[in-house]
Amino acid sequence: MQRDEKHMEMFIENSLIKLKDLKVAIGQMCHKIEFEYETINWPTFLDNFALISSHLAGLSKLLALEYTPPIRNLAVLPLHLSPDPDEHLIQITEGRLPTFAAEVVPDYLRTKPDPAAENRMNLHEAKANAITNDAASKQEAQFKKIVTHIGELITKMKEEWEMESLHRNLRTETCNQNDTQILMKAVGMGIGLSLKTNTPAMLMQQPGGMARVPNPVQMAASSPGMQMNKMPSSIKTNIKAANLHPYR
Amino acid sequence: MSSENQPTAAMDSLLQALQVNIIPNQEYLLQGSILDTQVQRLLHRLKGLCDNVETAPEQFFDYEVCFSLRAPMNEQTLQMQQAPPPLLLRVRRSNDPADSHMPFQLRYIGNPELGDAKRPTLVRASFDISCSPSIIDFLTEMGCRMEFEYTVKGYLFRKGRMKITVSKIFKAMNMNQEPLSQSYLVELSVLAPSGSDAVAEDMRVFAEKLKPLVILEKIDYKRLATVPYD
Repeated sequence: MQRDEKHMEMFIENSLIKLKDLKVAIGQMCHKIEFEYETINWPTFLDNFALISSHLAGLSKLLALEYTPPIRNLAVLPLHLSPDPDEHLIQITEGRLPTFAAEVVPDYLRTKPDPAAENRMNLHEAKANAITNDAASKQEAQFKKIVTHIGELITKMKEEWEMESLHRNLRTETCNQNDTQILMKAVGMGIGLSLKTNTPAMLMQQPGGMARVPNPVQMAASSPGMQMNKMPSSIKTNIKAANLHPYR
Repeated sequence: MSSENQPTAAMDSLLQALQVNIIPNQEYLLQGSILDTQVQRLLHRLKGLCDNVETAPEQFFDYEVCFSLRAPMNEQTLQMQQAPPPLLLRVRRSNDPADSHMPFQLRYIGNPELGDAKRPTLVRASFDISCSPSIIDFLTEMGCRMEFEYTVKGYLFRKGRMKITVSKIFKAMNMNQEPLSQSYLVELSVLAPSGSDAVAEDMRVFAEKLKPLVILEKIDYKRLATVPYD
């Protein structure tokens, strides 16, 4: 609790500093407009404006910070109200505000609701007073009935949805580990992809069966027609390859 | 004179680019799959999440062949009765007649690195280059062996640097295509210079958004291969 208070105090101090900066900036602006209106030019005017807006931005940033205590939860209580001029107030507001009264800050010192809201409330109250007790209880019963009915509908719907989603989660298997392995092995190593095509460009094939051949010697023996398959004599292969034009 | 200098200049700038690490030669990858019946839901979600919202998702229909180049057998390997792992090269072209003018694509993919549990994606070297159709003849003459082939048909989405493909894998390129499985392959990948770990983190966040429809993981198919398959 104490920590919270300390926190609050620190925050208020910080915001006071920022507010003072803002006040000074606004004061300078007022001064310029009042006394230098003949010589002031647009760039200086805009510069001053930018200064004020930067102060405002800084203040709102401070308010938006995460660790800022929520000041809207705090109430401002007027302790002393008097129509007479207040010396202290005059001093701290630099002569701008002589009294703290309803005419100056109507929003803070309001004790009645908003006129529009008050009107509507009066209307409703008049209407409520007009009907009899009997009619009121009847209306209440009717209203209750409707509300319970809607409540029932919602719970029923909710149950249905929950059942459905549970069902779906249980039922749907979207991937199969075994299939993943089959595909992996096929694409990576050709397992399961037997060679039985007749593509003219690819002449070197085993007569059916698996694509993988464990021994090159065996491989050469199985396709004697291919000169290139005489793997053990790599030098010869190279010579042969060099003689042929690769793009013939 | 200048024409002779050009290749060296190009080589120099390439080496320099390699040194300062600006070449996107690493592929950050997450993979998963989704059942055929559920793919519309995934497409719908991707449409909402990805950049090309206002247009329909880009479709592709490609054909890919994988070639292997084995190191020559020497005495040592013969004694060991085991050949060194072959170099795999992939050639891909579009099956769509509208793309007939597009070049073929030659791709080398390195070994996947899974890293520890903290690393969100799989990383593997990846080099792409465009080439003419004679690349197949060329590779064949080089002594490459065709290992396997498949057709891939699906949708492509983009989200910033990320590329998301949802595709169906078909055996070979016959007219009566038979799908390999009852699922679509889903891949989320980014090509970036090595050490771009921020990208991997972005990908992890994006993959989270697709759960539980698709579980995108780093899957080492090399390790899968050691498990007997059915």
